[in-house]
Amino acid sequence: MAEVELQKVTKMFGALQVIHGVDLTISSGEFVVFVGPSGSGKSTLLRMVSGLETVSDGDVLIDGEDMTFAEPSERGIAMVFQSYALYPHMNVYNNMAFNLRLSRYSKAEAKKLVHDAARILRIEDLLDRSPAELSGGQRQRVAIGRAIVRKPKVFLFDEPLSNLDAALRVQMRLEIERLHRELDATMIYVTHDQVEAMTMADRIVVLDKGSIQQVGTPMELYKRPKNLFVAGFIGSPKMNFFDAKVSSDGSENVHLVANSKTTFKLPNLRLNANDDLTVGVRPEEISVYTSIAEVPDTHIAMTARVDAVERLGNINYGYFNVGAEELVIAQIMGHTDLDHGQQIVFGVPKAELHVFDSAGQSLTAG
Amino acid sequence: MSKKRKGSFSVSRFAVYSMLGFGLIFYGVPLLWLFVAGTRSQVSLFSDPVFTIGTWAQAKETWHDLTSYNDFQILNWAKNSVIYSLGGVSLSLATAIPAGYALAVTEFPGRKSILVLTLIAMITPSQAIVLPIFLELLALGLNNTYLGLILATGFFPFGIYLSYVFFSSSLPKGVMDSARVDGCNRFQLFIHIALPLAKPVIALVAFFSFLANWSNYFLAFVLLSSEKLFNLPLGLTALINSSGALENQAANDIPIRMPEAIQAAIVVVAPVLVVFLMAQRYVRTGMLAGAEKG
Ligand SMILES: Nc1ncnc2c1ncn2[C@@H]1O[C@H](COP(=O)(O)OP(=O)(O)OP(=O)(O)O)[C@@H](O)[C@H]1O
Ligand SMILES: [Mg+2]
Repeated sequence: MAEVELQKVTKMFGALQVIHGVDLTISSGEFVVFVGPSGSGKSTLLRMVSGLETVSDGDVLIDGEDMTFAEPSERGIAMVFQSYALYPHMNVYNNMAFNLRLSRYSKAEAKKLVHDAARILRIEDLLDRSPAELSGGQRQRVAIGRAIVRKPKVFLFDEPLSNLDAALRVQMRLEIERLHRELDATMIYVTHDQVEAMTMADRIVVLDKGSIQQVGTPMELYKRPKNLFVAGFIGSPKMNFFDAKVSSDGSENVHLVANSKTTFKLPNLRLNANDDLTVGVRPEEISVYTSIAEVPDTHIAMTARVDAVERLGNINYGYFNVGAEELVIAQIMGHTDLDHGQQIVFGVPKAELHVFDSAGQSLTAG
Repeated sequence: MSKKRKGSFSVSRFAVYSMLGFGLIFYGVPLLWLFVAGTRSQVSLFSDPVFTIGTWAQAKETWHDLTSYNDFQILNWAKNSVIYSLGGVSLSLATAIPAGYALAVTEFPGRKSILVLTLIAMITPSQAIVLPIFLELLALGLNNTYLGLILATGFFPFGIYLSYVFFSSSLPKGVMDSARVDGCNRFQLFIHIALPLAKPVIALVAFFSFLANWSNYFLAFVLLSSEKLFNLPLGLTALINSSGALENQAANDIPIRMPEAIQAAIVVVAPVLVVFLMAQRYVRTGMLAGAEKG
């Protein structure tokens, strides 16, 4: 258990700056997930915490101690890699005992620690096998086992499950969550999987282009994304966006750019005349109606043509063409008769709108 | 695309197989003949059809003549060859593998220039540097010693290059990272991780170094003048020249004639074949299987 603190951490690869002054404090025992698109710097940031990558500027503190220049092995961390990274020339037991051997544990002690870890991960039967004789899931279990043997203060995971198939991923996800509860250790977990981030994290750190976009609990990020990037990144299917414009009289009246007849009021947002806005709404907030008259006052009514309907059994996704380039996605629970080509009316609840200014910053997140 | 059944005739297949066939015959037949001819007598070699197989007794007699001649000197040469080769292979492995590793995984000033120098040294023919080496060993008093020749052949830039290529392309990065997190320092990283994974390239470097050392003629010729220190290539050349075995001279008392010369050639060739078969097994084992994602 340890606190991890990043202070104005920067990373340059040659002249290319890939991490821009990241400030982040991760509390002891917390499960923090880094998410972001490919190339956003998630792995680089994690590797700077581990010491595998040097820090160009700023400080890394673990447990209050300045570890900026410490060797990876001095930091009290353990890391699990996407590629498993088992030692191919050692059997499972020796893979797990390697660190203990280097730290000069006695044979008996090492044996006990390895067996304890193997029991926790249910890989006691595999100890004599070589990595080549294991399935992907078993390999990742061994890699996690290898990490817990050394009782690290901080666990670092870099997309540990992305080489596994969907079912196994769910199982391992639960396993890692169980480990987190049992070991009560600080964990930093990199993923690009929405579900992993939402379900596992105490807090999510959203990264884009080497900068933190927002830090918060999964629900905070989902309910109150601070900017367009986070709004579009968190949530699947993603939030629907509409370009909008504040009316020229500078009042609370706003109309959609795609259809100036769709007007609505956005009170309490301190809008300026002619401001360009983006309004967003989550797919599950959209309701479908048979006629305009049916749409309640609390909703903005829009007409659309159904482009496609995806039926997943318990849930359906409707893709609506409102004349804009992007289709509007609506989540429809249960059964639906909607079909391709049909003209429909849907309503967007004003209370659930996310409003962003022209710089992409949220006006509604507060 | 038309589906082609496996094994059906096609021009490219035919071309490939005829080329392979030609190679097999052109290079294989002389080798095969060598092993067959070792069992035949001088007379048989001149009169019988090309691939006649001789007798076991004849082969044994030839072998006896060859090995016992001049106080078993050929056995001494063979022993010398083994010493030179073991020494040369060990020394070139001990230098080439760490050197290639350092060039591949670390960043230090002058790394690029060292690589270029290695390449230049690799393509420089040994004849070009034999004189300076001779003078150097003379100055050190090491000419005409085992150590002198071993030191000279331990310099193996091709091995460094092979090792460099292996380490820069085949070391799984995640495994190395993982070992660093587990607490390996640079030296332990090499000993515990890189070296065990490098079996294929160790076998490869050892094989090429062995090949160069075992058949080393020119450097040995320049550095060694005492017959007692000769290796096999040097000794056999001397033997065959002095006995006139291949010159069809009037009979002399030296029991070294054509069959003996043929068996002597087998003594030189056979270890190379054996070592090749041993080495290739290592080269082909998939040491890295299972380390990273399938
Ligand atoms: N060793 C390196 N040298 C130069 N640039 C690098 C190096 N490693 C990473 N980068 C660059 O740094 C940026 C961030 O890379 P990083 O691997 O951290 O991204 P990531 O968020 O982990 O992406 P992914 O989801 O694809 O793993 C990328 O633009 C990448 O090209
Ligand atoms: Mg990454």
